[in-house]
Amino acid sequence: MTQLLQIAAIAAATFGTGAAALSVMNEDIPDLFIPEGDWADTSALDGKTFRIYGEVPSRSAVLEDEIIFRDGTFQSTDCENYCVFGWSDYQTKTVDGVIHFTTTAICPDAPHTVVWHGRITGDDVVIDTTWTTRRWYWTNQIKVHATGSVIPSAEVAG
Amino acid sequence: MAIASSKPLTLPGVILRVFVLVGLIALATWGVHLIRDALDLQIRPDNEQQVHKAIMVGAVAYVGLLAMPFVPGAEIGIALLAAFGAAIAPLIYVCTVAAMMLAFTIGRFLPISSLERLFRVLRLVRAADLVAKVAPLSKEDRLAMLLEGQSKCAVSIAVRYRYLAMALAVNMPGNSIIGGGGGIMMIAGLSGIFTPLAAFLTVVIAVSPVPLAVLFLGLRF
Repeated sequence: MTQLLQIAAIAAATFGTGAAALSVMNEDIPDLFIPEGDWADTSALDGKTFRIYGEVPSRSAVLEDEIIFRDGTFQSTDCENYCVFGWSDYQTKTVDGVIHFTTTAICPDAPHTVVWHGRITGDDVVIDTTWTTRRWYWTNQIKVHATGSVIPSAEVAG
Repeated sequence: MAIASSKPLTLPGVILRVFVLVGLIALATWGVHLIRDALDLQIRPDNEQQVHKAIMVGAVAYVGLLAMPFVPGAEIGIALLAAFGAAIAPLIYVCTVAAMMLAFTIGRFLPISSLERLFRVLRLVRAADLVAKVAPLSKEDRLAMLLEGQSKCAVSIAVRYRYLAMALAVNMPGNSIIGGGGGIMMIAGLSGIFTPLAAFLTVVIAVSPVPLAVLFLGLRF
């Protein structure tokens, strides 16, 4: 019994120290910074779909995506290929005639958080996004910058 | 009969050796970068899940293999570091501590005859022979095994400062000839002269130089 207790104590000390070491040494990468403002659930972009083309600054990957606004919610068709994020509530604010929107999509099956910030001028949109994966042993982040324009509903894929 | 003469090192000789060593390290670092670039391991949304599974399998294999005497396991850790860079260093550190303590616990609590039989079943003949060699020895003699070839005085000092000796033995290049990190910790456990708590603290410090360098110096591959 004493031996079992000692083994349990060694295991507890190892796991406890491991967890402490990982939490101290793992540098968290914050999600995309969203500027303060009068963000509100306005549904101002409902019915609009944008086709966007982007690049990942640190990689050679190219992004082609369609982002859809419907019933006060947002969805990225490309992100749905990797995780069923579903529809996320979005907020907007207007600054000098430019509509800003933001939304945070959380993957229910994996530790992915995708934060969006877009600026819409007329039919054009400029977007910054971070895809952050927080595993217990590290945090990985992909940053994307994309631009695009509105497309008619008939052209929406899927 | 030719007798090899060992000339004393001159200052230029020492400087030359230091330069050669630094050159080798630079070359090895460059080689690791080349391998990393060639692997092109980018973590993307479409492969993140697979990368995560590969890291988990690699970590479990690393702990298991590193804990076994004479089984190369450190290479898995080095491969993970080469592939994923400094970001994976905390996990490698935790896994190394876990492997060392697993080996120590096995040595300390598993009956020596069962351990030998287990190694023979696993066809780990050298590990089984090591355990068989240790079995009839006294506690101090088991520790002295870690310092094979050293003088009696050195062994006596090592027994007195046994935790320091353990830390040095675990970090010593070429320790694979006496069983590697796993073998050393298993013998330490078998010797019965190391308390689990002190052995644990020794391991936590002994295997920390690389992660501490990453933490405090912000080293990046």
